[in-house]
Amino acid sequence: MARIQMRPGPPVIQHLLHTLKFYIKESSFPKTAAMPFYVAIASTLSAIWIIAVIMGPVTYGSLLLIFGVYAMHKIVEHNAGSSSGSPYGKLSCVRAVFSAAAEVPLFAVLIIIYLQTGSMILSNIVSYQAANGPLLFTIPLAAVMFFVLILSKAPYSPFAITKGKDIVSGYETEHFGVLRGYLMISESIAWYMLLWVFLTVFIGPLSLLGYLVGMVIMTIIVAFINAVTPILNPNHSVMMQVTFAFIGIVGSILLMIVF
Amino acid sequence: MNKIKLASYLMFTISIIGLGYALIFNPANWIVYGISITLIPLFLLSLGLINMAQATKEEEDERTREPFIGY
Repeated sequence: MARIQMRPGPPVIQHLLHTLKFYIKESSFPKTAAMPFYVAIASTLSAIWIIAVIMGPVTYGSLLLIFGVYAMHKIVEHNAGSSSGSPYGKLSCVRAVFSAAAEVPLFAVLIIIYLQTGSMILSNIVSYQAANGPLLFTIPLAAVMFFVLILSKAPYSPFAITKGKDIVSGYETEHFGVLRGYLMISESIAWYMLLWVFLTVFIGPLSLLGYLVGMVIMTIIVAFINAVTPILNPNHSVMMQVTFAFIGIVGSILLMIVF
Repeated sequence: MNKIKLASYLMFTISIIGLGYALIFNPANWIVYGISITLIPLFLLSLGLINMAQATKEEEDERTREPFIGY
């Protein structure tokens, strides 16, 4: 983002460096934290995204379970914020509920995929694309909806209201040291999985190199969008996402009826 | 050795044994999935808790006497 904004900034691998740094830093646990929930919720984030990896690249299982993992991610954001006892965490906790109201309808993109392919199982969707071409061209609005969902998970994005710097670091504010590093590892797995699902569901079966190139390109596009847009306030963020979801669902169904 | 260190070494050992079992003995798929869902997070957490820096004796006083202003 710094390079795009033409200013000196941290290296591109800063997220990795931060994760490693937090792992060896001295940690402290706030007096107000709800123990052991405060630690358990960080483990939950890691566990649910490992479930997503098993359902995705490992078994090519059901998209519905990945949707469930995503819903759990919103619950973790909510509970990590409230478990620390910090006011910033609590604000983020409220915003997580707020944004879930907008992001879950965006995930209704699954309905469009089901209507088009007749299946929720990833392996069936991949074989459908092998026979009929990428879904990106047949249901483009659904792809846009999913892209907005990915965008909302990126830090500094216009929709990243749970991690807005106006509330310091949102739900992560009072997860210091090791726990922050732990949350950051899980977020990296989440980012990988969201990009993997997008590429698999909308472009189809790709080689390892294809995935790598696709993920790098998508990350660069997201970085460009984040670098040139301000973060929206929670109301506007939610309303914009709901608008995207509405246009996406109604538009896709209309396109299916017409063609 | 304090309670956190002891617990983290225990968690670390359990997770290493569990993950080692899944990698070496080739059990049924559902067992491997179960082990990875529970023990990979445990491994990451315990590794962090073992590696994290500890406050020295002089610093400890500084950490605990920090006035709590309340929220």
